[in-house]
Order: sequence, then structure tokens, then C-alpha cells
Amino acid sequence: MARTEVVAMILAGGQGSRLGVLTKTVAKPAVPFGSRYRIIDFPLSNCVNSGIEIVGVLTQYQPLALNTYVGNGHPWDLDRNNAGAYILPPFQSNSGSDWYKGTANAIYQNMSFIDDNDPEYVVILSGDHIYKMDYAAMLKAHIEKGADATIAVYEVPWEEAPRFGILNTKEEDVIEEFEEKPAKPKSNLASMGVYIFTWSVLRQALIEDEADPDSNNDFGKNIVPNLLAQGKKLCAYRFAGYWKDVGTISSLWETNMDILDKPEEINLVDRSWKIFSRNPVKPSHFIGAGAKVKNSALTDGCRIFGDVEHSVLSESVIVEKGAIVKDCVLMPGVVVKEGAHIERCVIDQGTVIGKDVQAGNFVEGEGPYTNHKICSEGICVFERNLTIKDGAVIPANSMVDSDLDVPEDCAIIVKG
Amino acid sequence: MFNNAMGLILADNKKISLGELSNPRALSAMPFGGRYRIIDFMLSNMVNSGVKNVGLLTYNKYKSLMDHTGTGAAWSLDRKNDGLHILPPYVNSEATNINSDEELTGVIDFLRQSRTPYVIVSGANVILNTTFDSFIKSHEESGADISVMYNRDGTKFGNPSYILDIDDDGFVRDMLYNPTKATSQRCSLGILCLRRDLLIDILARQMAHGQSHFGIHSIVKMFDEFKVHGFEYTGVVLRINNVQGYFNASMSLLTDSVRNDLFWSGKPIYTKVKDEAPTLYFDNAEMSDSIVSDGCRIYGKVESSVIFRSVTIAKNTTVKNCVIMQDVHISENCHLENVILDKNAFVRPGVRLVGHPDYPIVIGKGAGI
Repeated sequence: MARTEVVAMILAGGQGSRLGVLTKTVAKPAVPFGSRYRIIDFPLSNCVNSGIEIVGVLTQYQPLALNTYVGNGHPWDLDRNNAGAYILPPFQSNSGSDWYKGTANAIYQNMSFIDDNDPEYVVILSGDHIYKMDYAAMLKAHIEKGADATIAVYEVPWEEAPRFGILNTKEEDVIEEFEEKPAKPKSNLASMGVYIFTWSVLRQALIEDEADPDSNNDFGKNIVPNLLAQGKKLCAYRFAGYWKDVGTISSLWETNMDILDKPEEINLVDRSWKIFSRNPVKPSHFIGAGAKVKNSALTDGCRIFGDVEHSVLSESVIVEKGAIVKDCVLMPGVVVKEGAHIERCVIDQGTVIGKDVQAGNFVEGEGPYTNHKICSEGICVFERNLTIKDGAVIPANSMVDSDLDVPEDCAIIVKG
Repeated sequence: MFNNAMGLILADNKKISLGELSNPRALSAMPFGGRYRIIDFMLSNMVNSGVKNVGLLTYNKYKSLMDHTGTGAAWSLDRKNDGLHILPPYVNSEATNINSDEELTGVIDFLRQSRTPYVIVSGANVILNTTFDSFIKSHEESGADISVMYNRDGTKFGNPSYILDIDDDGFVRDMLYNPTKATSQRCSLGILCLRRDLLIDILARQMAHGQSHFGIHSIVKMFDEFKVHGFEYTGVVLRINNVQGYFNASMSLLTDSVRNDLFWSGKPIYTKVKDEAPTLYFDNAEMSDSIVSDGCRIYGKVESSVIFRSVTIAKNTTVKNCVIMQDVHISENCHLENVILDKNAFVRPGVRLVGHPDYPIVIGKGAGI
């Protein structure tokens, strides 16, 4: 793939509000995942492994962590002289300034970035899926079929189809119709949010979409149906590998657990398709005498003196003596103090779980932090950089949020 | 953070052999502590001190070292000005054969191109985590020509040991090489601070006298002519003088105080990034008192060991008091005790290998058992 042939654009500006406190101060693609990674490492690494060297990262919501993380693109080999990773925030111009109104508008506002690189094709990606995919193979199919646009699809179980954007196809996987979350799906081919467009076609479509005041400026809702209406050739590209949406707390938890339960499916040890990430520069992890570690994923900087079972730990997590950590996702720098017992907890960076805290799905009842809207399946989620009081009891399905007003006698967060 | 010194690291030491382990590599390229090479510590010490220009003096077996350092990006030493410079044996148009005796010519050229007033010179056999701010400050205040870092290890780490006799004002008045009876516990770390122009003068003079190798202690030995000041270092120092020393140093990392001093004192040790996956522990894994790096798959039992990146330890296998380097595969039903396995070694099912803690078994790079 010649380097000017294709430009990739990663839509990384969304809040991901269904992740609750995890996206309070960072955009969803910057959320830590799978012990060593952030979600955005997957599309970024896929780009590099597919030979795409010009990658625009569109940011808007809470961009600081993401900007710092992507930086000059060095961890992904995207610090090239005439290519690389480019952070593209909304900007001012003499005709005014605008936030990105939708996914299509975000690309529309950065048309000049794409034009400057003068590509034949543009790959549009989202920053909220965990998968390994060769976009070069998809581009090959796009070119061979003479398509104007190609949309990657994933066969989902029929009963789950109503949750997805569904593509109805005729022979040779040519797309006839796009239905967003259909009540009665006619197909089980779900859009993966991975698009390849012939740039001249997309460019025209973006200009027309921008001129329509009633448009949502969204790829799924507007661009794809408009192109279909114009009789353009849109093809589905079937993807059969591992692909998971991590848009909710339960799916984020479940996908982390997949690393332990089905390690061969996402296969992170595959050296021909490495997932690159920014390195925390920490020593190898240490497991003390008397510790127990089973069925878990650990990385640099962890120090384990307690029991860790079926959990995914990010860098520099400390589990003290006598603590029990089961079915948990602990993000960088989390500390679990002596005697604490946590199960099914997703704990954001730097939070300290006090001594003898009981938290998770084994704790019955409801508390001030119970949140059935964000949490399900007994999973508890904790905001970053909190200190949880010694002995606190936190029932299943709680979202521990420092902005929530709770009665003094129920307070479990140490202020200060 | 100061910015007035450059660094010079001697990547190998002809007096030190780690047997089979040093066959494929220079001493400084020796893997250590799970994810590091020995050189990472001194390079990081220099970078954490604000040094921006480092020369690595090599004379042979530098491929492994160059693979590791690359452009120096991992240490932020990929710089337009200064940065990391590998100084291989000097080759010029007259000497078309690589003449490893000409290393001083290359060093002098490199030193001349720098602009910093001071040079920090170090060997490859000491592991410590420090910055050189107080060393340089002490050097300036003492009015010495040359300063040498030492600690109170005596001769307990074996040869080579350079024992310093230091007077009440802190100046070196004698130095003994491998004394059978040590008169002092002050043992040189082989880390020097001196003015760059003085180092150039000394090296030029040594060359004129027919000396071709850079010898750190041949500079310390000039205490009759120059004022050589001793600077005591009190933090953790690991010395790698032989296979046993390498094994002991590795095992000492399992001690909290050693690990905390070397890794958690707030000064990061940088190394080449490999982008391995996280390490997975499976159902029957039993772990105790061990250091483990990324990319491993552990099904068996590991006790008091140092495990490098991407190591597989299969079911029903026990690994105890071992140092297992990168990409080693240990099959099922094995028992390994007091063994050092070099990179890419493969242990077939059912193998039993038991060394003595005072004499570990060494399995060479890529060996199959």
C-alpha cells in the first residue's frame, strides 16, 4: 500500500456516557483496557499493521489524556517525516468555529487535512472496539469490487441484531439498505463502524450532507443512506475474527475477562499483529511469598502480596497481604489494601481501596451509589483517584462517583 | 538536573567473563532483572541526571548492544544535537582492518566534539540507580582533578576489585588491585568525574605512551600526579564480576529493599520497549516471591525466580531459584532449580536440572535440552 493511497481517520471525540465515571475526565478511546492497553491502541495498531501511515485522530470530548497518550505517535511507529499520527481537534476559522456536530461533520471539518494528503481512499474508524483487523485486505476487496464505499460487517446472533446498525445485502454482499437498530431485522450483518470510502465519493457526500440543515451529520444515519439513495455501490465486507464493542460497563468488563477466558481469540501474543501501546516505564511485576495469582493478566509495575483470581490488572497495581481480588478489572496504579475483598469491580486509575473494604457482586442490598442505569450483572465501578474508607461496604451494581451527594453517615470516600 | 556533563560508558570489560553468557554479547548488553540490560541502569542514571550526550565505547560483540540501544529513543537520547553515540573500534583510511587497539583515537575525537565541561565515565559491571548531581557538586567543592565513586563492599564481590586507601581529606593515596588482604573496605565503583579537557589530555598522553585501551582505573592510579577524590555512595550497588555474581545480583532483586532502591526511588530505569502482551497466569499457576515480565504464559509453579519477557512455563513444571531469560520455553513435568537459562533456550518435557545456589547451571543462548 503506497503511503498516499490511503488516510485513516479515527473518530475519538465521543464521550461514551454509558461508561459512567470512567469517562468523566477522559474520552472513551483513552480508557485503559486489557492490562497494558488503551482502547485506541487497537485501531491505531491495526492501521500500522495494515500499512497505513497517515492517521488522523479526531478529538473533542475531554481530549487532554488522549492527546498526551497519542503524543507524537512514537509507540505505534507513527512518528514519520511526512506521515504519522495527527491529533485533529475542532478549530476556529474566519467563517466561525464549530464543535464537531456529528461523525460526518467531524470529517467534513477536516477535509483540508485529507485533501493535503491527496489519498485515493479514506478509512473511517471508531475508537470503541476491541479487534484485530487487516484494513489492507478490506481495501483490496473495496478496489476489486469497484465499490464507492465498503462497510465492515460482523455476523451477530439474530436475537442481538436489534441492538446494532444492520446492513441488508443482496448477492455478492452489495448493500441494499441500512437500518439502525431494527425491531425486526432482515439480516444479522451488523456494521462494525469501519468504513472505507473512495475519497472523491465521500468528499462530495460530505459537502451535500453539510448543506442539509436537517441532517444529523452522522455516517450511519445520513451518509450511508444518502449514498444508497444515489445508487452508489456500497459493499459489505465480512469480518469473522474477534470483535467486541466496549461501550458499556458490562461489555468492558466482559471483554477484559475474554483475555483470560478465551486468550486464543483476541490472541495478544501474536507477534505478526502486535498491539502497540505507550510504555509506562515500570519494572517487571513482583509476586510476593504467600501471594496467590490464578487465571489473571498482569503487567509491569504490579506488586502482589494478596490473592488475585480471574482479574485483569494494569501497570503498577498493588494488592496487599490478605486482600482478595476476584473477577476485577484494576486500572493503572490502583491499590487494594490489606483485608479488602473485592469482586466484579472495575476500578479506574489511582483509586485506593481501603483496608477491609467489601465491594462487588457478593455484597447484597442497595446503597447510595447503586446505579442500575450504568451498572449491571453486579459489577461495581469506581471513579479514578478516590480513596475509599477502611471497612466500607459497597453493594453490587454501585457506581462510586465523587460528585454524588450522599448523606454524611453513608460517606465512603475520604475527602481531601 | 544539571546540563554540564557528558557521559562515557565502557560497554565491555576484558577482565570480566560470564562464561557462556558473555559469548554472544558485551557485558553491558547482559539481560538483567526481567526486562533490562545492564547498560539500562547507567544510561538511565545519566539521562536522569540531565546528561544529553553519551558515548558507548565498544571493542567487539557490539551487535547485541546496538540492537538494544537503537537510536537511543528509549532513553530520549535520539537527539539532533548530542544524543547516543556508539564508539566502535576506530577505522580510518590508512587502517582498513579494524584495529581494536585504536579505541582511544575514537574516544578522543568524540570528547573533542562535545561542549560540556565535565565527563562522567563508567564501566559496565555495576548496577545502581542514582543521579550524579551530588557527585559533581562534591567534585567541584573538593577541588579535585578526578573524583571516583566507591562504597564499602570490600573484596566480597571477587575480582576485579580496586580497593582505595583514602586519606582524612578524602583523597586517594593508594589503590590495590584484588588484594588478598584488604586494608580498607572502600571498593571503587569505577565511576569517575573529571573535566573533559583533562580526560582528553590524559588519554592523549596514554596513547603517546603506547597504551591503546581505555582503562578507568589506569586514570585513578594517577593519584600521585593528580588530586583524586573519593565519593562514597551509600545506596544499593550490585556488582557483576562473574556468573555467581550475576546470579546473586539477580536473586537479590527479590529482596524488598534492593528492589525498592533500584526501581521505586522515583528515578525510572528506561529500556527498549518490546510491546509484549500482558502476562497470563492460568488455572494451576502457583507463584511465590518472583519477578515476572510481560508476555509470559505461566501454567506451572514458580518460586524465588526472575522471569524475563515471553517465557512459557508449562503445567506440572516447577522452577525454583532460577533466572529465565527472554523467549525461553519450559515444557511440562520439568524441575529446574538454581539454573540460569539464556535467551531462546528450549527445555523438553520431563527434564530435571538442579544446580547448587553457589554454582548455578548455565544453559546457553538458544540451547535445546
